[in-house]
Amino acid sequence: MGKHEETEQLSRERLLRLAAAGGVGLLGTRLGTAHAALERLGAESGRLKVLDWAGYENDGGQPMFAQYVKTHPNNKPQFSYMSNESDALAKIHAGLKPDLFRPYVGWVKYFAQSGLVQPWTPSLLSNLKHLNPFMVKAGQYNGKQYGIPDDWGFDAILYRTDKVKPKARSWGLIFDDRYKGRISWFDDLNMLTVAGLYLGFPRPWRQSDSELKKAQQFLIKKKKNVRLIWSSETNLWEAFGQGDIWIAYAWPNDWVQMKKKLKVAYMRPREKPVAWVGMFMLLKDTPRKRLAHAYVDTWSSKKSAKWLEDNYGYGHANVLARPSSSDLLKALQLTNPRAVTEPYAHLDRDIPRRATYARLWEEVKAS
Amino acid sequence: MAVTEAGSVARARARRRFRLPLATTGLLSLPLVWLGIFFLAPIAIVAAYSFNVYSLYPGAHGFTLSAWHDFLHGGVYLRLFWKSVKVSLIVSVMVVALAYPLAYYLALSGTKRKYVLLLLLIAPFLTSYLLRVLAWKVILGNQGVINSFLFSTGLRSPDHPISQLLYSRFAVMLVLAYIWLPFVALPIFVSLETLDRSLLEAASDLGASRRWAFLRVTLPLSVPGIFAGFLFVFIPTLGEFVTPSLVGGASGYLYGNQIVDLFGAGFPDWETGSVLSIFLLVVVAALTVVFSRFLRTGQVAAR
Repeated sequence: MGKHEETEQLSRERLLRLAAAGGVGLLGTRLGTAHAALERLGAESGRLKVLDWAGYENDGGQPMFAQYVKTHPNNKPQFSYMSNESDALAKIHAGLKPDLFRPYVGWVKYFAQSGLVQPWTPSLLSNLKHLNPFMVKAGQYNGKQYGIPDDWGFDAILYRTDKVKPKARSWGLIFDDRYKGRISWFDDLNMLTVAGLYLGFPRPWRQSDSELKKAQQFLIKKKKNVRLIWSSETNLWEAFGQGDIWIAYAWPNDWVQMKKKLKVAYMRPREKPVAWVGMFMLLKDTPRKRLAHAYVDTWSSKKSAKWLEDNYGYGHANVLARPSSSDLLKALQLTNPRAVTEPYAHLDRDIPRRATYARLWEEVKAS
Repeated sequence: MAVTEAGSVARARARRRFRLPLATTGLLSLPLVWLGIFFLAPIAIVAAYSFNVYSLYPGAHGFTLSAWHDFLHGGVYLRLFWKSVKVSLIVSVMVVALAYPLAYYLALSGTKRKYVLLLLLIAPFLTSYLLRVLAWKVILGNQGVINSFLFSTGLRSPDHPISQLLYSRFAVMLVLAYIWLPFVALPIFVSLETLDRSLLEAASDLGASRRWAFLRVTLPLSVPGIFAGFLFVFIPTLGEFVTPSLVGGASGYLYGNQIVDLFGAGFPDWETGSVLSIFLLVVVAALTVVFSRFLRTGQVAAR
């Protein structure tokens, strides 16, 4: 499809422009020269517009796209920021025109159906073959590659081994009445999914009305035990590091950071952890399609992946990359690409009734 | 001659009548346009969101009262609003009670350094609001200043710190009181500073004790300052979200946080967020109208 479009554009528009601009070509210049001129005329211009999470921009994440900047010095990325997917959605609807952005895997289907994005062209991504196949598949919708996986991690349980004695390896620890005032939840509608997992619902991402009601009532009942509902890792580290919190819904990097000064463990509950994956998505009307591919390809390289793992503590979809920290390697189970999916973990997915989940979660916080 | 003078006076008056509205219009036009574009129009847009007449997101739109119905009958958000009202009331009363003696001393003690002291009172304003709130995290945390002091004096074991100081409703109220104290002290100071001292002398001459003079003269005359200070705290804290999100934790979550989250977190629900916003606006406007009658010195003094 993409190639067809390019050929059509070439015949109708670019050759005419070439003919008009390159009189030399019409006078019988060699074919190679004509192609070079065509490349120049057809080149995508301007800075690449990236809508991304704060921290992945010039100051923090430059090594992850350094190769791209080196090869495209005139098209350096220009960042705008999203605090979450709904924020990105609002900004795009309000008129922001990024070339690409990065929602998480649970939103791939939503955005693919929204008509705001277009699929990537796999042939333009040389590193795609090195990316975790389960994550790559999770980025597909209707057989097309709408999301390119990059950063990822688990949602599981971090706890102080010197203060907490879990009764079982279970999500139940973040609801445990014995630790009232020492528990921290994550501010996300996925708390209803986790409650569903703990309560044994067969499809926590597709709960029925009665299941959702039960999950919500359960969370409201257990909220009395919760000291903090965190929305940024810094917030969590501060509370956990100060000893205000002993048990938290957390990511592998939180364990790596807290392990430096506290006795902590990162529990993989028997109901299984949830794996989240960042997915680059390409906006439908981008005038910089090839540049966006080049940028994402750099992000997908082994070198960038290792840098991300070493400096951010997240996993990267590139299966060739290995972090310097053996702790992180173990927490993310990087030697097993299947670790992010069944039977080891639940790979996060689309929630068809996302608006309902969101409303119920907001009511939990308000209760 | 008299006729001529009368005529010129009438013309002068007419000119003044003509000029005054022009000058007034000229002076007011810019702020009015500003308010119209950046205050009234956004409120109208938010109101339109609340009735689903308009939305940034694609989907079916049309006038509906469903979000209002859910808000008024669901109970969850109204209970949260009531919780915020209680927190704001406690903070406002607490701050007025703390600020009054401070303002009284500054205004009526006759100290020559009162303006220096006043400057000290408002000195925290020289620091950013966010920093002042964050500083409390250092003080209230499990390993914060208060707990460290208790550990070092042996009053508390390091294994058993006072852990409810931070990430609690108490922390929200404490920090809000600290933040808003100068805002209340200033209007009370102004109302006491402008107090006619001869009234106090008269009360004394007529045999009133200092306490009686305070209760019958000073306090009633400073009521406008008290109400102004109370409103200065109560209205902004009712919709406050920064302080609760930094020090409030799960139990310190307030109505303002809910509005922010409905607009910005999870999945967009601008319709409900707009309902909560408009409701808050209406309540605050009504309270302002009710309380404004207490802000008139003449009426209070007349009682």
